[in-house]
Amino acid sequence: MKIHKINDNKFKSIYISYNFTMSVDSNEIYANNAVLGALMAKSSERFENQKEIERYLNELYGASYDVNVEKYGDLYNLEFRAEVINKKFLPEKEDVLEKMIEFMSSMIYSPADWDIKNIEREKEFILERINERKDEKLKYGVQKMEELLCKNEPFGNFLFGNEEDVLKIDKEVLKNAYEKLICAPVTVIVSGNLDEYNNIDELFGKYFEDKIKSEDICSLEYNTRKNNDIEFEEIKEEQDTAQSVLTLGYKIVDSSMDEFYVLNLYNAILGTTPSSKLFQNVREKESLAYTVRSRFYRFKNMIVIYAGINKENYLKAIEVIKEQVENIKNGQITDEEFISAKDSLMADLNEWKDSKVAMAKMVFSNIIAYNDFDITIDQMREKIKKVTLDDVIKVSNKIKLEKIFYLGGNTNE
Amino acid sequence: MNKISLEVSEELDESTFSTKLDNGLEIYICKKKNYTKKIGMFGTKYGSVVNDFVDITTGNRIKVPDGIAHFLEHKLFEKEGANALDLFSKIGVSSNAYTSFDQTVYYFETSEKFDESIAMLVKLIKEPYFTDENVEKEQGIIGQEISMYDDDPSFMVYFNALKAMYQKNPVRIDIAGTIESISHITKDLLYTCYNTFYSPQNMFIVVVGDVDVDNTIKLIEENILKYEKKGTTNTSKIEKFYESEPEDIAKKEITQKMDVYLPQLCLGYKLKTCDGYEIVKNDIIVSILSDMYFSKQSDFFEKEYNLGRVNDSIYMQYEGSETFSHVLISTTTTDVDLVEKDILDYINKIKNEPIDEKLFNVIKRKKIGESILASDNFNVCYRRIIDSIIDNTNVYADMDILKSLQVSDVKEFLDKLSEKNRVTSKIIAK
Repeated sequence: MKIHKINDNKFKSIYISYNFTMSVDSNEIYANNAVLGALMAKSSERFENQKEIERYLNELYGASYDVNVEKYGDLYNLEFRAEVINKKFLPEKEDVLEKMIEFMSSMIYSPADWDIKNIEREKEFILERINERKDEKLKYGVQKMEELLCKNEPFGNFLFGNEEDVLKIDKEVLKNAYEKLICAPVTVIVSGNLDEYNNIDELFGKYFEDKIKSEDICSLEYNTRKNNDIEFEEIKEEQDTAQSVLTLGYKIVDSSMDEFYVLNLYNAILGTTPSSKLFQNVREKESLAYTVRSRFYRFKNMIVIYAGINKENYLKAIEVIKEQVENIKNGQITDEEFISAKDSLMADLNEWKDSKVAMAKMVFSNIIAYNDFDITIDQMREKIKKVTLDDVIKVSNKIKLEKIFYLGGNTNE
Repeated sequence: MNKISLEVSEELDESTFSTKLDNGLEIYICKKKNYTKKIGMFGTKYGSVVNDFVDITTGNRIKVPDGIAHFLEHKLFEKEGANALDLFSKIGVSSNAYTSFDQTVYYFETSEKFDESIAMLVKLIKEPYFTDENVEKEQGIIGQEISMYDDDPSFMVYFNALKAMYQKNPVRIDIAGTIESISHITKDLLYTCYNTFYSPQNMFIVVVGDVDVDNTIKLIEENILKYEKKGTTNTSKIEKFYESEPEDIAKKEITQKMDVYLPQLCLGYKLKTCDGYEIVKNDIIVSILSDMYFSKQSDFFEKEYNLGRVNDSIYMQYEGSETFSHVLISTTTTDVDLVEKDILDYINKIKNEPIDEKLFNVIKRKKIGESILASDNFNVCYRRIIDSIIDNTNVYADMDILKSLQVSDVKEFLDKLSEKNRVTSKIIAK
């Protein structure tokens, strides 16, 4: 078994990320695994309920453990993650790492025999997650746009699935979901202060070796989109709120992972920093929004722009946003805009070095994207550095507006 | 160079150096070896609760509109034709600012441009630029910000709890003020607040990262001196006035209807104000209480969860300052009324029971572990330093208090939660 280790002794703790990654052959995966993940976070053969788990973690000096579900484009990933303090920093130099590895193995490979009551309770838990998503307006507006842009693609599903699929879940469904999960390729990343632990491989080997069915993650396809046709649509959802949410969804056509660094820079110039075109024009110059940003989806080749606006500014905001996108296409990028976006991206990458979690995520994303776990931050910075203004202008012509989604009060058009 | 003091926490394997410049400005440097990132913060001990004070330049007492400290934060981060966020962003540095009840802080984060960033931060704070036009424009942007918070149920449930607890204290008013109150803000009022509260004896600089201590202090001092002509700095004592706050609460309950799926509940217990050391101690006691009685390891949470009333967490937190002190218990729930009743019965029960000493010790140990885990996080480092500045305690007072905490401290604190001074705030679906 391969353990990806990222060692940096400036930290005091160790972060463990144990991932199962799978292709989505049916949209029910989202609902099924959301409920499965919730059950596996809260019980096992050894620990009857969440209370017992929490009490055990308390004994490990407040170590943390949970289950995280996420989408990498059209791939589904279920991550068991934990953090423990390096024994060097504990008062009696107790070794809690081995205890944690043993604990994770038992949580993952010796699940509880779930009873109906627990299953129903976790279904309810996920149903609430699905229903309460409208309570955070900006986030909901962005999710809705992801759904619109990826109508017949797995990524368009809400992370926890839909109500209908959750309601269909029973013990049989979960058992099948579990079997499928543990057969999925496993990627293990350990990040943090590994000083005085020369035995990480043996430790994992001891508790996991005979359990892992596959480690072949690179054959999975993260973007299944075949059709790049643009079908423009403007959609509105009325909601009684003080502020409205406007999102614009763009597809990037005929692009590949090779353009990742160029697109990242494009996106920074467009709308991720205070020097960006969106921030400068929509917020600073026109006072149309307090929040306005753009988000680039590396694994789905798309960009979503979102803003919190007053409903009477609906048309004006769309106009000013579109203008920014056009200006980049026409090469209207000042040296200052270009350099500051580049500097910001390079600085962000550098700061990942200070986060155990960010480093683990970086390695995992690069495995999915390039099947390469050796790419370093400095190599990534070098690639950003090499991007030219022409590269950005060229890529900007591949960006096509497809959907506009508005959430809020009546705009009285 | 002035005397440099050193404070060390052995548990956290962390050191903080501090000094005071001749003009009264305090400097704190928390050394984090081998980290790439460096954070620099320039703050003033002035926040939203101050609206009545003596204007340091005229000696006259003055009342200012609610929300002015936050407005000033926005305006100070804006220079002739440019936004500070943008000026930093242009050199690849991220920056931001925040205003709370008792402080306003401006900060940057950088890995490579530390010296330039310190120079820029000092320049921004030392060179205010307010005009009638830019004040008017800001009223629009802040209006948007206020609307954004008005749609946020977690924010509203919290502020309504404060409104219910306090009759006079300005904590009952949104930090950003209201659209009405900020319409009274003028260029001149901003200068008055600036001149009074942004004088060096009321300010501090905090740096976290792998920097050279002596050079950093020198760098800061050089930059500060650029903007100070000899004899012009006003170091008079700052006089603030607060309306006296009655012991009683303002209102027992506030319920607001919003467009939400899950209702929210926040219970508040108003307490007597106390000194800085007590504030830190109360904060730790309440975080221990929260873990002992409401976290996922508690029987109470398990019961509420199995009944399907609570999904995520129930947590208890303490907030204290010179002028207020209270405990809040918050949760998102399917049934605000039933959960309110359960929590109140439960509080009553635990107040009348002996404390489980074994559990207390396990949680205390866990808290020490969590503090070690958290010290890898810069936010936790600077938060601790700023709290110690505002509360006037040692930097690592929290660690000392945590280690020496006894069951009796927890018991004593629980006795202070009185039903008479308890309020309820609810957000329910329309």
